[in-house]
Amino acid sequence: MPTLPRFLCFVVCLLIVAFRPLPVAAQGVPDVTLGVTKTAFAKIDILVGTLDVLSGGLAAVEAAAALERTLSRDLEYSGLFRVGSGEQPAPAGDLNFEFAIRGSVEGPLRDAQQTGRDAPTTVSLDLVTHPGGQLILNKQYRPVPDQLRTTAHHFANQVVEMLTGEPGIALTRIVFSRGSADRRDLWVVDYDGESLLRLTANRTLNLCPAWSPDGSEIAFTSYQNGLQGLFSLKTATGEVRRIIAQEGLNLGADWHHTGRELAVSLSRSGDPDIYRVSPQGEILHRVTGLPSIEISPSWDPSGRDIVFTSDRTGTPQLYVIGSEGAGSRRLTFEGRYNDSASWSPTGDNIVYATRETDITQLVLIRPTGEERRLLTDWRWRNCEDPSWAPDGRHIVFASDRTGAFKLYVMDVVDGDVRQLTFGDEPDITPAWSRN
Amino acid sequence: MKVMGMNPRRVLCFLGLVILAAGMVFATGCGKKPEPQTEPEVIVEPVTETIQEPVVPEVPAEPQPLVDYTRMQPSEYGIEDVYFAFDRYDLDDRALGVLTRNARILKDHPEVIILVEGHCDERGTVEYNLALGERRAKAVRDHLIRLGIPTDRLRVTSYGESRPFALGSNEQAWAQNRRAHFARP
Repeated sequence: MPTLPRFLCFVVCLLIVAFRPLPVAAQGVPDVTLGVTKTAFAKIDILVGTLDVLSGGLAAVEAAAALERTLSRDLEYSGLFRVGSGEQPAPAGDLNFEFAIRGSVEGPLRDAQQTGRDAPTTVSLDLVTHPGGQLILNKQYRPVPDQLRTTAHHFANQVVEMLTGEPGIALTRIVFSRGSADRRDLWVVDYDGESLLRLTANRTLNLCPAWSPDGSEIAFTSYQNGLQGLFSLKTATGEVRRIIAQEGLNLGADWHHTGRELAVSLSRSGDPDIYRVSPQGEILHRVTGLPSIEISPSWDPSGRDIVFTSDRTGTPQLYVIGSEGAGSRRLTFEGRYNDSASWSPTGDNIVYATRETDITQLVLIRPTGEERRLLTDWRWRNCEDPSWAPDGRHIVFASDRTGAFKLYVMDVVDGDVRQLTFGDEPDITPAWSRN
Repeated sequence: MKVMGMNPRRVLCFLGLVILAAGMVFATGCGKKPEPQTEPEVIVEPVTETIQEPVVPEVPAEPQPLVDYTRMQPSEYGIEDVYFAFDRYDLDDRALGVLTRNARILKDHPEVIILVEGHCDERGTVEYNLALGERRAKAVRDHLIRLGIPTDRLRVTSYGESRPFALGSNEQAWAQNRRAHFARP
């Protein structure tokens, strides 16, 4: 029966990832808490109980363990909870649990074992008050082994949304560019660092990916015969099509929340300017028209304004402009080099990269230009290409603190950081999916 | 002299060893004659020769009628790259000299189409460096046009910081990477 060994392998992999010691190079910086003012945000204490195994033997025991582990991690990664697990109800000392998750795992069912690895498990998960045990939420799932993580992610999102009103990010993914010199491919990884997958293999540079709002497409910049174009990759099939390939730069796409257009930088008229183009590549509107560099557009979540970079004054600075090209205003006045703005999906923040001397750091600012604060410091070496999670609380960015650029996720509210990708090859220009 | 004052027993022992060693060498030498001759020569490979030489011979190849320049990299017929200062895209005197020589070569080979690639050092952001790289490439293209090279023979692209020529985070590597490179499209 091939099911068990394979599944064991899967679980072992999960275990390895879950309990992997901290990356060696990360030891250089003892505390990952950065220059962020810790807010007195009250996290919710929640207990992830040991799931009952009703039947199914070892496979079910392992499925239960995988579910608990993924659930705990999801809740922790949301930044909204302090999580205790079944065996150690209060690892951090005095957690005062208000809620608990409990449930059961059943199967795989005897008849379904005939179908090998596709045998589904029956999973029932409850969110209850603690210690009262009052039922708040119940969900039933029938996942095959490959879907166990998705099952946990789904329930974690339900819990987050029910208890905080915030959208959960446990099912989100991050696309990025990996490689060096002649070849950089697009890769995608789950928000928790699992399920790493390469998307392109076209022996050229593939950069600056951007998710369509429904996640069905990824727009990105690539090269054909040495010339740049904007392309789109269907996430379901891997099929790539050209959106637009004008002379010069075809760069930095960002999808409008309707999915009906993209903001992009084209240098067809000499210097790069911001344009709005349809997903089919028609130019809908030229937003800027100055003889300077205008690049790196990012929509505000309402889809009315665009933040972008312009060096019209001699240094790259951020500006906000209406999508029709009216009402341009300068956003940044500090620093001689500001770029790579990303407008938070909740609308209340813009994150960008600033270069001082030779080091690039991340900055958070209000769309009004107020409350500028540095998110990183020199210990992080360069931090670039920030992109928001749909919760407006987490960002992913690239940093070369360990040598090669790797991806990190930061909670901008409490400053917690975790490394998302590992290995020697540089990872750059990450983009967090919209849902 | 103390050097000569060696223990005679030691000297004997040493001599004995020398004789023994010589005997062994002789024995093995006689034993298998055809083999060992090939080996020693391979070891004497000079390591220095593998170092990459970016500069191309100044003599732009002899006039050989069969050479197809459109199939060669521009550096192979004497076209040189142009370098830039940090954050700059203006052409200094050295760059102008290089472009003057490049233009003369390009005029001698009117069949050649050239791709001018703009490159940047690793400092700064991916996107702004792509824009800066394009400015560098266009500054070079525009000057070549002023020197009489037809526009349709010159294409422009930018790789920003994505394709460094030299690795390393120091001024030496950075200076190598701030350039306009000429390539076959």
